[in-house]
Amino acid sequence: MRFAAIKTIYENALKNKNVYFLTGDLGHFGEKEFAEKIPHQYHNVGIAEQNMVGIAAGLALTGKKIFAYSIVPFVTLRCLEQIKNDVCYQNLDVTLIGVGGGLIYGPYGNTHCSIEDVAVMRALPNMKVVCPANAPETEQIIKQLMKIKGPTYVRIGRGKEPMPATSYTVSFGKGKIINKGTDIVIFSTGTILEEAQKLVQMLTDAGISTELINLHTVKPIDKNLILKKIRTRRAIFTIEEASLIGGLGSAVAEIVSESSKRNLVFKRFGVNDLYLKEIGDQNYLRKKHHLSAETIYPVIIDKIT
Amino acid sequence: MTVAKIKAVAREIRKHVIEMAYNAGGAHIGCSLSVVDVLACLYFNTLNIKPKLPHWKERDYFILSKGHACSALYATLAERGFFSPALLKRYMKNGSPIAGHVTLDSLPGIEATTGSLGHGLSLGTGIALSLKNDNKNSKVYVLVGDGEMEEGSVWEAVMFGGHNKINRLILIIDNNDLQIIGKSTAIMHSHPFEEKLESFGWKTVSINGHNINEIIDACKQTGREKPLAIIAKTIKGKGISFMENKLEWHGKSLTRDDYEKAIGELNKIP
Ligand SMILES: Cc1ncc(C[n+]2csc(CCOP(=O)(O)OP(=O)(O)O)c2C)c(N)n1
Repeated sequence: MRFAAIKTIYENALKNKNVYFLTGDLGHFGEKEFAEKIPHQYHNVGIAEQNMVGIAAGLALTGKKIFAYSIVPFVTLRCLEQIKNDVCYQNLDVTLIGVGGGLIYGPYGNTHCSIEDVAVMRALPNMKVVCPANAPETEQIIKQLMKIKGPTYVRIGRGKEPMPATSYTVSFGKGKIINKGTDIVIFSTGTILEEAQKLVQMLTDAGISTELINLHTVKPIDKNLILKKIRTRRAIFTIEEASLIGGLGSAVAEIVSESSKRNLVFKRFGVNDLYLKEIGDQNYLRKKHHLSAETIYPVIIDKIT
Repeated sequence: MTVAKIKAVAREIRKHVIEMAYNAGGAHIGCSLSVVDVLACLYFNTLNIKPKLPHWKERDYFILSKGHACSALYATLAERGFFSPALLKRYMKNGSPIAGHVTLDSLPGIEATTGSLGHGLSLGTGIALSLKNDNKNSKVYVLVGDGEMEEGSVWEAVMFGGHNKINRLILIIDNNDLQIIGKSTAIMHSHPFEEKLESFGWKTVSINGHNINEIIDACKQTGREKPLAIIAKTIKGKGISFMENKLEWHGKSLTRDDYEKAIGELNKIP
């Protein structure tokens, strides 16, 4: 996903001299050519993320289109007030690319994991939040963002996300039906889609007609689609590799609770509101947070039977 | 401890660093090797500590602000007797508390969580201020990377330390001139550090960060009026010929071959 992101920005930067890429000393993902071919549009601002976002906003004030890149916590929380005042308040054309969303940096500890970012970015007025699930989604979303202005946060993985079995297209702001079903629906966002797909297979095998919808765009959320599903399905579940507080599950819950539907089964699956004392790889931590297909499956069965 | 003994300890720490990185299947190596000699001097000479009483109230503090070099710190603490070296096998493993960045309470002897760059000097300043107000003699040593010096927050702490004459605060800069994408001096003109720090009210000492005598001597240079900054010229990947000054060894995984070659080189040191 890192290669896909940087490659797509580079290709567009070659065509448009106003497209800039800033990094806080992170990379080695194909940006070397970028730096050599169009040095005015590529800047390693050093390990200084607050300055990076401020500079991004300054560049955007003169009409440039900026993509600023670092590991999720450093490009979101470290520079939060620069994002709020400089980018969002002034409503500028800056896209933050956060690498390593969720638990993928697990062995490196909680300084590098990111469970708070989706909620925090979602709370900022003018900010758009997108969590692609894999490299092709990342590429498509970034291409679309070339034509969409304003503050955006794109939360990507770290590289080992599986490629989709069959190719499909995604559109910014619109949910993508990955698997058709008529009984229950699961909304997923980001790289945990692979786990959601396993889960859907398990439920389908158990005879439960399960629809899987990829809500890569968490903000603005595809409200019409969610309302339609609230009306026509008997149970709704959300899955995300982010805190249970404030992310996709909360966004869907806000719509569910304000709808007039009664007797809807609804449950969110996400990262618990705590910093685990133990570390582990992504799969290990998903299990610990009850976010693996195997740990979610019995909970859903229990809820719908 | 004699210089020869500290050198021998440093060699053991380097071996642990290599084994831990190999075991973990990818970790920060060059970054850790860079700080080994400084850590060996601190823990085997300078710091006033009791490994069996990690929370002893009169102790000196050490904060590894470049928390990604944690394997060197864990290995040093193990060698110093804070815990059994057997625990190092759990570095970055599923279910273990020992993360790839320094984490408070994960092991005895760790004073603060770091990993996001640019936090350690502020944390150390707070500890030093508290000790000063409580009339304790303890000192606080904070090790930062030269790339890390690009973070503005470091300079906010530098300003505070100088202004408030936090004389028990010692900043050590691991000046290896490499970060992730390239040479620090090419990315940002934050060097030279000496003049800048002095203008902020710090005393500075510049040394070879792999020379045991120079490190030990520099750590003694604290004064009454000013915080002390030690600018330690180091080599990223120090001690393993094929890793020295090589950008890619910031965090590359070791093959079996690399591992054996590295351990072989360390075993040859007397
Ligand atoms: C706030 C923050 N930004 C970015 C990173 C990612 N990162 C880890 S190590 C590193 C380079 C550090 O350079 P330096 O301080 O010189 O340490 P060394 O290369 O000597 O280990 C970067 C950018 C981080 N850990 N924290």
